[in-house]
Amino acid sequence: MPEEVQRWSTPPATVVTGATGWLGSALIEHLLASERKGLRALLRDGEDASHLEESGVEVVKGDISDKRAVARLFDGIPPGADVIHTAGVIHPKSLSEFTKVNADGTRYMVEVAQSASIRRMVHVSSNSPFGTNPVESETFRNQEPYNPYLGYGASKMQGELAVLAGVEAGLDAVIVRPPWFYGPYQPARQTTFFTMVRTGKFPMFGGGTQRRSMVYVENLIQGVIAAELTIGVSGRGYWIADERPYEVREIVETVRRALTDEGYEVTGKPRSLPIIIANIAESADRALQRLGQYQQQVHVLGEMGHTIACEISAAKAELGYEPEFELYGGMRRSIAWCREQGIEL
Amino acid sequence: MNLSKDAFGAGDHIEVEVLIIGSGAGGSPTAALLAEAGFDVLIVEEGEWYDQGSIKPFSLDQMEKQYRSGGVTVALGRPSIAYTEGRCAGGGTEVNSGLYKRPPHSMLTKWRDGYQIQNLELDDIDAIADEIEADLSVSYVPGDSTLASQALARGATNLGWRNGEIPRWMSYPERGDALSGKRQSMTETYLPRAINAGAILSTGVRVERLEMTDATAGAAVVERRDGKAGRISFRHVFVCCGAIHTPALLQRSGIKGNIGKSLAVHPTVKLSAKFSEEINVDNDVPVHQVTEFFPHSSFGGSASQAGLLALALNDNWREFRGQITDWRRMSVYYAAITSEGRGRVISVPGMRDPVVTYRLTKNDRALLAISLGRLALAMLAAGAEAVYPSFRGAPVVRRPADVARLEAGFSATKASVMSVHLCSTVPMGEDPRRCGADSFGRVHGTTNVRVNDASLLPSAPGVNPQATVMALVVRNVRRFIEENVHA
Amino acid sequence: MPSRPSASRVAPYADALLARDLPALDPQRRSEAVEFVAVRVSDLPAPMKLAVGILAVIFDLGLSLGSRRTYISVSSRLPIPFVSEYPRLIRSLAFAYVWEKWPDTRPDGGRAQVEA
Repeated sequence: MPEEVQRWSTPPATVVTGATGWLGSALIEHLLASERKGLRALLRDGEDASHLEESGVEVVKGDISDKRAVARLFDGIPPGADVIHTAGVIHPKSLSEFTKVNADGTRYMVEVAQSASIRRMVHVSSNSPFGTNPVESETFRNQEPYNPYLGYGASKMQGELAVLAGVEAGLDAVIVRPPWFYGPYQPARQTTFFTMVRTGKFPMFGGGTQRRSMVYVENLIQGVIAAELTIGVSGRGYWIADERPYEVREIVETVRRALTDEGYEVTGKPRSLPIIIANIAESADRALQRLGQYQQQVHVLGEMGHTIACEISAAKAELGYEPEFELYGGMRRSIAWCREQGIEL
Repeated sequence: MNLSKDAFGAGDHIEVEVLIIGSGAGGSPTAALLAEAGFDVLIVEEGEWYDQGSIKPFSLDQMEKQYRSGGVTVALGRPSIAYTEGRCAGGGTEVNSGLYKRPPHSMLTKWRDGYQIQNLELDDIDAIADEIEADLSVSYVPGDSTLASQALARGATNLGWRNGEIPRWMSYPERGDALSGKRQSMTETYLPRAINAGAILSTGVRVERLEMTDATAGAAVVERRDGKAGRISFRHVFVCCGAIHTPALLQRSGIKGNIGKSLAVHPTVKLSAKFSEEINVDNDVPVHQVTEFFPHSSFGGSASQAGLLALALNDNWREFRGQITDWRRMSVYYAAITSEGRGRVISVPGMRDPVVTYRLTKNDRALLAISLGRLALAMLAAGAEAVYPSFRGAPVVRRPADVARLEAGFSATKASVMSVHLCSTVPMGEDPRRCGADSFGRVHGTTNVRVNDASLLPSAPGVNPQATVMALVVRNVRRFIEENVHA
Repeated sequence: MPSRPSASRVAPYADALLARDLPALDPQRRSEAVEFVAVRVSDLPAPMKLAVGILAVIFDLGLSLGSRRTYISVSSRLPIPFVSEYPRLIRSLAFAYVWEKWPDTRPDGGRAQVEA
């Protein structure tokens, strides 16, 4: 870790939102394993809280888009607590969820966190407020202008702006920006990804030369905790990703190799489709979103034609972040986790 | 001091050993080196001689006297791209920003391998660059650079973006300040050198065409200042008219091949930034550039006197016009990209000037958008109160969230896209599919017609090109001297 | 440089455009700016000059119809490729001239307080 990186000790209490999500679940597991005390999590009504409560996590029920629920989340929290805000919606049922959860929810978190005298808030954002790289060989620097990619990007930008406004008003907060992630606790859509790659049905466009930054969940957790505990970086935002971006074709080949090495049968051949299909999908996605509609497949297909690559030098220098896993190793662990869970790929 | 003279006198025919057409960054070093090697050299220049320092830099007066067509020249396309060319003794070197960037090794290697350029050695080019830097007194500004220049550096530094002062071919008096430099243009350096070594410079002479007999050029048919025709016979000719008029002349002379088919430029978009202090400098440009995004894009400062600010605000005049009264607190900055697109130079029979076109690609447009956004962010990070981008319907940018609106609203077709760097219309190299001239500038399919200017650069270099042009020009002319003295 | 720039094809439209964009610009300055535009247009590269000449004829047609103000307002903001370059060219040249020559000109073309 660079010498100038100084860290706090762990706080008396830690509030986590999105605790049942992909990152949140993995994060809670990590925090419990490292014996973090005073964990409190926000779960939606109807979500199963039993496994968390058994582990000693205090569960508050309510929705992030309900300011009263957010207030309850901070009820009686001791001063000097940390907040890790991972809640967010990426593939919503309707577009209005983007604003409710990613923008309004984050604003409520900022407002309540501020009055609760917390020590540090970590806001988990995304690459999406920054759009896509203009050309394949181009890489996002740590500080970039906002150029949100459609509805999700716009809502995540609003979330970031709420956090930055909070910082101006005295809140201590850091933004973490993970790109596409992979690893344990993956949702069904990622299972579909593995299955498509395994059977050679995952569509690559224009030879798959687009570059993508990805982040293995455990790398991301390391980055999130570094952002939580590093002193003197309030107001900053950081890309947290694997060491380097990968070309899409490399991702496909690596996943196929990892699947083979984990004993799965890999069939078919990676296919490359004309880039125009991705462009058409993107136009369709835009048109649909303008009408207030969201189609996950169309959205994902449209985005596949783009490069979304970032560099992590600032996180390394200022947070002491050092990604531990790279694509092949991370993918093997992801696949192994799926098998343990009985998930068919 | 005007060193040119009328080479024709009372007659209308001249015979020389070497004719050099054009006296800019290509023609002047070519002339100096050849004259010093003992060749009998005549340089003809379409424009006139103006002493360096006698005309206010970046003024309309300068555009009228020292630019082609008063600086109003356009490459047609969607959008059309406005460009400028010098037309005077010394060419573009008399009027440009004077910023000196060594030819990037990455670019030279890419050219050498991609276009099969023989004997293009990085060490040779570096050694030539050393000489040129000494000849042109390449130097940094003494003391502090201007506030407008510092602002760009400050903004980039605050964002963690690489930036720096670019040296210039300027000489400064002892204890002079940033604005006291004198541009070491061709009329101050290589042209006097050429003339001292016996070359003759004749201004006000426009070459209509070269007379070709099979693959060999024997004479140039010219039009003189007074409209009279003339003829200049030669053994060798160097065409150094810049990336537009070199291919146009070759085409008018009936020379075929990869001539004028691959115009490359650095498409540039602009914005005006307003600060709380007076930062406007009315006769100089900032010396700092943001180099973080090389080779994709670079940002710098432009000339910003009130007239040019009005021009920069003009695309959105209704919304932005009120700012013009604050011009002393404003400065214009640019973002230039390395473009995938290409253009054409097409001579049309019966027309004096060629038709020029340029086509931006989809990626170029995306790169222009993000580059303008990044530049706006840098200006905010520098402490600008407000940023006024130069495109129709542009928002005023006051905070980072406004940059999202800038990028969302931007399209290249709504913008004032311009370029001052033109090249690549006669690319050098042995690849017959792409090159118009051989590895040392001899036009393919001719025995004695050589190009020696920015036309030879296989692509736009991603940096201010004059140093690269001059280094290649010196390399090529040395090779010519070796071959023709020993032969 | 042409001997009679004011007889230029572009002069009527340029004059009307400036009268609308910079209503407070005094007539003498306006005619000076129009003259500058005319000189520059006469110095354009041959293909551009030809195109501008054709556009000038087309744009001039509207000047005699009804309200000049409305016509200028509409014609100077037509979103048609190439055609829209014409008013833009004239405006650019004229503005550059006005503010270079008289930098403290107000946005409406009026003289700055200090000058008056």
